[in-house]
This record gives sequence, structure tokens and C-alpha cells, in this order.
Amino acid sequence: MGFALRMNFVDVVVSDSLKNYYVNGEKMGYQFDIRLSYYRGHFLSVIDEFAVKVDDIEVPTERIKFCINGKEFSPIEFDKCYTEFWQAIEPATVRVFYPGGLPEGEHKIDVTLFFRSPYMPIGPDHQYMPVDSCGSKTLEITD
Amino acid sequence: MSNVKTGITLFSLGTPYLKGELDLEGVIRSAAEMGAEGYEIVASQMIPSYPYVSDEFVEFVNRCKEKYGIGPICYSANMDRGMLKDRDLTEDEMVARAITDVISANKLGCTVMREQYLLSPQGLARLAPYAEAYNVHVGIEIHNPESPITQSILDYVEVIEKTKSKYIGFVPDFGCFATKPNKPYWDRALAGGATEEQLERCAQLRYDDVPMDEAMKIMAPEGQKCPALFAALNSMYGFVQFRKSCKAELEGLKKIMPYCFEMHGKCHYVDENLHEVSIPYEEIIPVIADSDYNGYIVTEFEDEGGYDSLEQTRRHVAMVKKLLGQI
Repeated sequence: MGFALRMNFVDVVVSDSLKNYYVNGEKMGYQFDIRLSYYRGHFLSVIDEFAVKVDDIEVPTERIKFCINGKEFSPIEFDKCYTEFWQAIEPATVRVFYPGGLPEGEHKIDVTLFFRSPYMPIGPDHQYMPVDSCGSKTLEITD
Repeated sequence: MSNVKTGITLFSLGTPYLKGELDLEGVIRSAAEMGAEGYEIVASQMIPSYPYVSDEFVEFVNRCKEKYGIGPICYSANMDRGMLKDRDLTEDEMVARAITDVISANKLGCTVMREQYLLSPQGLARLAPYAEAYNVHVGIEIHNPESPITQSILDYVEVIEKTKSKYIGFVPDFGCFATKPNKPYWDRALAGGATEEQLERCAQLRYDDVPMDEAMKIMAPEGQKCPALFAALNSMYGFVQFRKSCKAELEGLKKIMPYCFEMHGKCHYVDENLHEVSIPYEEIIPVIADSDYNGYIVTEFEDEGGYDSLEQTRRHVAMVKKLLGQI
């Protein structure tokens, strides 16, 4: 990734948002919230790169569900989500399948997220301004 | 005889909104307190049901109007031509999106809609029947580096005159009349290690209309040592260009005035004496006041960091009212 615009108002990884989630009374994995780093919202189809690392280990993409608007999407579906709008002030919940959940204590979350600003062409042939919405934070798991 | 009202685009207060310091009602209340008679809303920024307008949102907006006395006057649309992963939207698809925006604008009670230039002149012409049916005047924003006399804007004029529709036209942004370098960019370059003298030389290259490639070459030895200087020079040839005089551009504005539905009162820094340091409002406002323009000048504070958006927006509204002789 070469130059990318950065327009940051709040932390991408939301403080105090890391917790395990339960299915059938068992810890099925963990989740945390992220914000879009931009002044307006976007359709998910503008996301060009998305990856999550927890404690420096890359999370396999198929274990991730990206939750907005009361729905859960897999990153591989982003390009088809051209009607799913992620609001600039609404956090998305990133839910990771990880039976047993994360152990108590602090965990380092690294999110890589680049999207193209779809109204800012920077050249011919579908070239648009890349925007950097990456973020990192160490969070204490609250459940 | 002109009839000029002052408004605020809520985008001006985007920073406190995004940081959660003000909710949408707080943003609207602040705009009213600053003297706005109406507001513009960037749909993709602040409408929860975007790109649609829910009944619930209409109720909210009406409730705010009762409480604070101001309502939405302009729906600011985006033309997201690059929203699909693998290709640009076709003109048919862009027109379809713009029709959705016209419907949303109408539902919100707006009679003006800001559209972006990625909708071509032909696309704009195709929108005219819908704009008329829904009573929404669709204006293409004229944003620096375009101006009322650049060719791509004249291409729209041709189509507007051919269709004879009173519902397609422009929303000029005063940033296109800038005659001095942009202050926040200048400040940022200074903070990044550039000197006043270096920046003055960059500005002179711009004033002298030295082509960008050549200007970059001239400043290259110093720019390589100081990337902030290069960034400032880039901006001078980008979205915050300026020239010695904006007389020709203001003459151009007079010609297209009948097609203007709203004006974006762009500001980057208004000082305590109510003077925008890069954009010559003292020249621009009389041109509008002396015309037959009937509509809003909407304050658009472009927050580049470093200044308080509430204070800047308040100063800008006061400056426009003062220049209009309204206070």
C-alpha cells in the first residue's frame, strides 16, 4: 500500500469493547468494536483490505464475522455488500470464532482496514483515493 | 434584487459530531444558536437510514424544527462512482442513485440538492424530469480547482441551457475564488519543518502559474529534505489553489447566477476580525448581493485541524451577515 489518506476523529479500536461471546452457554469466541476512520459512512463494498491480528497472530479470515445493521458478514462478502452502509458514528462489531474464548487479561488487537473513497478518483481505470482506517489497541477482556 | 439567507452545512460541525461531543440534535441546536436560518445535511454523514430517509428521521427533523426553528434546506448527495469493487458505475447506475437521492431530499423537505461532478452533464440532464417532479433543484458543486469559467463547468452550462430546465444548475463553493494560500496547510507545513521563506517561494510559483511539474522540480532539493514542504506545494496545485485575482471567476459567477441554487461559503480560517484569510469574501459577497440571487449562503467550515470548529463556524456566519449588512 502506497500513500493513503488518513482522516481520524476517534480511535478505530473502541476502548472497553473486548469480550467473549456465548453460544449454548459456552464461550464460542470473542468480539470487539471498531469505528470507521472517516468523516462520512460507506458501503462495505469499498473495503479493499481487511485483516485482524490478536496478540500478534493473524486471525484466519473465515473465522471473522463483521457485524453492522443487525447483520453478520464475512470479509469475503464485502464486495457484494454494496447496499450495506456502515455509518460513520456506528461501531461495527468484529466477532471471531474461537471456541473457549480468550483468556482473562490484556490482549493486543491490530486491525488493518483500507478502503477507497469512491467519489475521489485519482486516475483512470477505477483508481480512487485509498484511505487508511487501521487501528491498534491493547484491551482488557471484560467477560 | 437579491434575497440572501444564511445557513450552515452541519458538515462544519462534523468533528464534535464524530467525536460524540454533540449528537445530531446538538449539532442542529448549535447551528440555530449561531444564527443559521436553515441547514444543509451531508446525507452519508448524518442520516441514519442512508441512502433513504425513514419516517422516524423525518419526525426527528420536524421535532428539531419546532424546538430550534430551523430545518433542512439542502440534501448534500455523494456520487460514489467507485463503490463497486471491480468497475466504475455506469451512467445508468449513477442516474439511478441520483434519483434515489432526489426522492430522499424531497422526503426530508429539501428543495435543493448538492450533487457531485462525477455525474456527467448528460447524467444531470437525465435527472431534470425527476428534479422537477419532486421539486428538488439539483446543483453540481463547483469546487476548487474548478471554477465558473473552467471548461468542465461550461459543459454543464451548455446542457442546462439546452434542457431549459429550472431544476438543474449549480452550487458554487467560494473556495474556487481563493486569492491567498490556505492557512491550515501553511501552518501544518511550518509545524513540519518548512520555513516561511520556503513557503513564500512555493506560493510565488503558484501565483506565477508555473506548471506543477516544473514547480515540483524547482523545490525538489528542499522538498526531499522536508516532506511537509512538498505536501504544501501539492495542495497549492490541488483542492486549495489560488491566484492573484478572482475577477474573471466572479464575472463567470455573474453569468451562471440564474442557475445557482445555493452557495457554499467555504472557510478554512476566519480571524477574530471576521476576515477569511484566503478567500476574498469582501469581493465575493457584493457580487451576490447585487445580483438577483434568491437562496442561501451556507457556511462550510472545512476542518483541517488546529482550529475550533464551533468558533470558526460562528465567526463565518457572523462575517457573511456583516458583509450582507444584516447585522
